[in-house]
Amino acid sequence: MYVLLLLAVAATLLPFAWMLLGSFKTQGELLRRPVTWWPQEGTLANYISWFTELHIDKFFANSLIVAVVTVLGNLLFCSMIGYALAKMSFPGKRFLFLLVMVTLMVPGVVTFVPLFVMVSKLGLVSTYPALFLPFLASPVGVFLMRQFMLGIPDSIIEAARIDGAGEFRIFTRVVMPLCGPPLATLGILTFLGSWNNFLWPLVAAQSEDMYTLPVALSLFSTGQNATNYGLLLAGSVLVITPIVALFVALQRFFIQSVAATGIK
Amino acid sequence: MFKKRAALSAPRMLHPSATKAAAIGLSAALLLTACGRDNGSGSGSTESASPIASGPATGTVTVWAQGAEGTALPALAKEFEAANPGVKVNVTAIPWDAAHNKYQTAIAGGTTPDIAQMGTTWMSDFSDAFEATPSAVDTDDIFPGSVKSTDVGGTKYGVPWYVDANVVFYRSDLAARAGHETFPTDWDGFKSLAKDLQSKAGAKYGVALPAGGADSFQRILPFVWSGGAQLVNKDSTKWTLDTPELAEALNYYNSFFTEGIADKNPATGAGAAESAFVNGSVPMWIGGPSGIGELEKAGGAGFADKYKVALVPKQKSATSFAGGSNLVVFKKSQNRDAAWKFIQWLTQPEIQVKWYKATGDLPASQSAWKDPSLSGDSKLAVFGDQLKDVNSPPSLTTWTQVSAAADTQLEQIVKAGKDPASALKELQSTADTIGTGR
Repeated sequence: MYVLLLLAVAATLLPFAWMLLGSFKTQGELLRRPVTWWPQEGTLANYISWFTELHIDKFFANSLIVAVVTVLGNLLFCSMIGYALAKMSFPGKRFLFLLVMVTLMVPGVVTFVPLFVMVSKLGLVSTYPALFLPFLASPVGVFLMRQFMLGIPDSIIEAARIDGAGEFRIFTRVVMPLCGPPLATLGILTFLGSWNNFLWPLVAAQSEDMYTLPVALSLFSTGQNATNYGLLLAGSVLVITPIVALFVALQRFFIQSVAATGIK
Repeated sequence: MFKKRAALSAPRMLHPSATKAAAIGLSAALLLTACGRDNGSGSGSTESASPIASGPATGTVTVWAQGAEGTALPALAKEFEAANPGVKVNVTAIPWDAAHNKYQTAIAGGTTPDIAQMGTTWMSDFSDAFEATPSAVDTDDIFPGSVKSTDVGGTKYGVPWYVDANVVFYRSDLAARAGHETFPTDWDGFKSLAKDLQSKAGAKYGVALPAGGADSFQRILPFVWSGGAQLVNKDSTKWTLDTPELAEALNYYNSFFTEGIADKNPATGAGAAESAFVNGSVPMWIGGPSGIGELEKAGGAGFADKYKVALVPKQKSATSFAGGSNLVVFKKSQNRDAAWKFIQWLTQPEIQVKWYKATGDLPASQSAWKDPSLSGDSKLAVFGDQLKDVNSPPSLTTWTQVSAAADTQLEQIVKAGKDPASALKELQSTADTIGTGR
């Protein structure tokens, strides 16, 4: 059993090991056959060019701002909508929920161009709001929060109401503190989605100082006919490091919440 | 799955309360206006642009350029700014990966720059958004084969910036061992060289040729054109694929696979072709100028003496594929006068030489090739010769579909032994259904 598990772990980690080792190789060595595992003529040049001439810190800051705002927006708005759909009663509630579900089934490519036209008519092209505004709430997040909140007993909410708490107070003081696991899931998944998003930031940012990490990675390492693999691998290492750190730090919540909500 | 969907379908939730239906309606309305914007412009009829104002360039010019071009251009643009004190050039570098999407959305959203670098095969996709080249912009010095790539439906849009042509790369040391001191010029000689490299010089395969897959048909066009075949008729109203010339070209091409001179399942991974070329197992391929740099890295010092480049083999002609990029001005440009002046400046011979030295991009200007940095290099000189006989695929919006259908047929010929004649019959009927978009 353990042998099988170890094999599976090795198979999962192998590409990452290849990426890490490859980031220290020269282009010549990466193109050579037979392939070498350990860098024969190790070089730090790939990392040095990211930090000096290519100014990765600028793109890193952009990615971080966009990801953090998107995560905060999702945590707030998805739980508000989820609460309304789960615990409040008003006419048209079922229809609204249905609409949320329908948007889940519309592929992103269909709304891509109209979305860009909207952003451009709002005059937001090449600004931070253009990068995060469209993603501040997601249907998946709403669904996740609603499903979890359905499981919170009505009696708790009613007790708070009898004690004189208003709707907003109930939401912030009673419901939200119970929602740790789905909020952790939503936070991690939204962060990942925003961090890795490529096409939207590419299109919405029309000047280089607004580019995010994935866009910069593609810009500097992938040419028309040739790819600078060393630079690409080193950049990839730099891009995934925060993700790995985040996952390791929040791993406990993540596993807990997947088990609790049954949604991944 | 989840990540993409979460990220891309989120916009509908902008106004969570009740305005959802309104938001959907709004976006649909915006889409409709975006599509309708270009109506009434240039579908087939020729158009001409108004002349350029005289005097030095002023104002701000925004340029979008891809990859290495985008990162190298700002340094050169400084010289233009110095010569025209009133002008400011802003360059935005765009990754090649998704540049096509980026232009698509920018055109739909009306946020296009003044100037853009446009791949030669993208011209017909976006030409509705470009301004026709003013007559004051002189293209006499540019390679005619490349100027042809700016022509969509009889109107020229933009100017070639840099060019690239496919030539034959071969291991001259192995060819000499196989008894070929000079490179053959015709189809029969080319095949016997490939055969001899295999039988006398220890190569596993004589030549690497595309055996199917994306863009494979586009890559074998040098054989198609050299055999005298034309893909469309004179006025681009009908595809001419089921012709004896094209059948002959495909029969010749396929014989490399049936005789075992080329691999039916070539390795396609990163660096596979380069390393096979360096270790001599597949010592010949057809490719563009970027191969020189790649081989330099893969082969190390001294390897440059072991290979040469040569013109594509001749049958009726020795016509190769012209690639590269054009510079275009968008109709929505707020500063078209300065934009065209910048393009004129960039295509001057001495600036083209400077650009070559900065990026390795081959000059589109013919007189730039007289510079010793280009004419003195034996390999580059071959590219210069080849560029005098190049062709581009038809500038038709349906070319992408037809060439994809041709890729499939090519793969069936090479891998499944389909008869080229019947493959062409099928291809012709598919292409007739697709049409030429005219």
